[in-house]
Amino acid sequence: MRTEYAIQADGLEKIYRTRFRGREIKAVSNLTLHVPEGVKFGLLGPNGAGKTTFVKMLLSAVNPTSGSAKLFGKDARDPEARRPVGYLPENHRFPTYFTGRGMLDFYGALSGLDALERNKRIPGLLELVGLKDWGDVRIKKYSKGMLQRLGLAQALLHKPRLLVLDEPTDGVDPVGRREIRDILNGLTGTGVTIFINSHLLSEVESFCEYVAILKSGELALEGKISSLIAGRGYRVRASGVPEAALAEIRRLGVSILPSADAIEVQAVTLEQANTVIDKIRAAQGFVESFSASSSSLEDVFIRTTKSEKAA
Amino acid sequence: MNEALRRSRASVLAALIRDTFQEARARWLFWGLFGLSTLLIAIFLFVLRIDIVQGAISIMGIAPTTHQVDIRKFVNISYAVVSIVLYTWGTFLAVFASSGLIPSVLEAGRISLLLSKPLTRTMLLAGRYAGNVLVIAANHIYLICSIWIIIGVKTHIWELRFLLAIPLSIFIFAVLLCVVVLIGVVFESAALSVMISVALMLISAILAQRQFMMKLLDSEWSRQLWMACYWIVPKVYDLGAALRQIILHEHQTDWVTPLWTSALFGMVVLSGAMYLFQRRDF
Repeated sequence: MRTEYAIQADGLEKIYRTRFRGREIKAVSNLTLHVPEGVKFGLLGPNGAGKTTFVKMLLSAVNPTSGSAKLFGKDARDPEARRPVGYLPENHRFPTYFTGRGMLDFYGALSGLDALERNKRIPGLLELVGLKDWGDVRIKKYSKGMLQRLGLAQALLHKPRLLVLDEPTDGVDPVGRREIRDILNGLTGTGVTIFINSHLLSEVESFCEYVAILKSGELALEGKISSLIAGRGYRVRASGVPEAALAEIRRLGVSILPSADAIEVQAVTLEQANTVIDKIRAAQGFVESFSASSSSLEDVFIRTTKSEKAA
Repeated sequence: MNEALRRSRASVLAALIRDTFQEARARWLFWGLFGLSTLLIAIFLFVLRIDIVQGAISIMGIAPTTHQVDIRKFVNISYAVVSIVLYTWGTFLAVFASSGLIPSVLEAGRISLLLSKPLTRTMLLAGRYAGNVLVIAANHIYLICSIWIIIGVKTHIWELRFLLAIPLSIFIFAVLLCVVVLIGVVFESAALSVMISVALMLISAILAQRQFMMKLLDSEWSRQLWMACYWIVPKVYDLGAALRQIILHEHQTDWVTPLWTSALFGMVVLSGAMYLFQRRDF
């Protein structure tokens, strides 16, 4: 049965209770999120926002306290719902007694592939992730980047319709990150839904089409990245601005990002930017640069999480 | 259930069992057990070559017909003694060896990936359990069969009943493994599971002295409490005693009841472990 959504979470909630005092900790709160089939979706949020708990509820490693989660229209608790899912967990611990080939064979068997199919697909996947010559080496000899790539091969082995990647480039060097991105880019147009949980905003911005931002277990923002970052603005970089002037500038409703020896003011309109420059000059501050800019996902993220804090 | 689904489940179960074997080999548990069993076999071979044993066998072998009964009795007693040693030693060793194989699969980063696969938690635990039992069974078969062959070759008396030590040792290990699984699921502690399993073995030996204790205990409620504990705890001692009686062709006490009550204990504990495993978050 084909449905419109790869992931459907409705009112999903997870409350942990401490063992002895029974104190309640809300990890995810009333989360409703629908991920359409075939898109590249990024899940963002600061540490402790509930991203990993959400992913684990989707994959049945964590039992929700309330609400429902569906994968391709099937209840996520049904093992069959997980058959079309490939998953690369954060901080994975693949058993080190496996060789690369052995590991793929084991997880392939658990994913329901028969021996013939596994033998056919494993060499190609090892080649795809650049581990062709490492297939028969024990994985305890693998570097972090190699383990990530092997993990990715494991997630791709059974040709999933949904790929869930939890911090896929965590601890990987820039070259390794590029390789992982290239592999994922290769899936574009194949109809595979890619769901990435990451704290690397630039990575999500460059790769994903949709994004959701979690804050304190709640959905703070969701939408198409191109729409979210569409709002243009102006950036003023200045130094030697006294604190009193900064307070005045802040009252204009602009955001001020401090850097090493200067400040960066993000203004929304040209008029606002000119007022900022006037104020800096009046306070004997030094304008270093002025440029038009579109807001990045980072700006959106900071605005979202800050406004949440203010609330 | 359609045929394809059944085949897929069988293949998943086989993969989980294979994985347990691989881990047992990688952790040197498999080879450790094999090595210790080989050492025991070597010691046994050596003991049989000691003059006094060799002499006793020879004397009985060449003695007149009236003494033929004695040599069979002598060999049967040897079989019984050896079977009890193997049953106890094998069970202890098996519990020690397998205690780490359950918590290891529950490690964060490993379990979440396993649970993301299209298999039920019950199947995951069952596969691990079955793999564990098979690892130990392979060792028990090797050890007990080797000793049986050695005694048989030496005495030309092949006591088939001695081989009952194999299923019985595997059975009692399977029951104790249920406790290991439960402790593993709740506390993820290999040491605690060994402590509790060994304690159960010792308690079973104490509780089995029930006829003697019934005379000693002065109140009805304490006698009932003793009996209740006796029926609850797996009958490691009673089954060992039954094995000895079977090999010696002695008048047998009831061995079926200890067998089914132990099996029931194992099933209840394993069901509890499965239930708690379903409810746990990883």
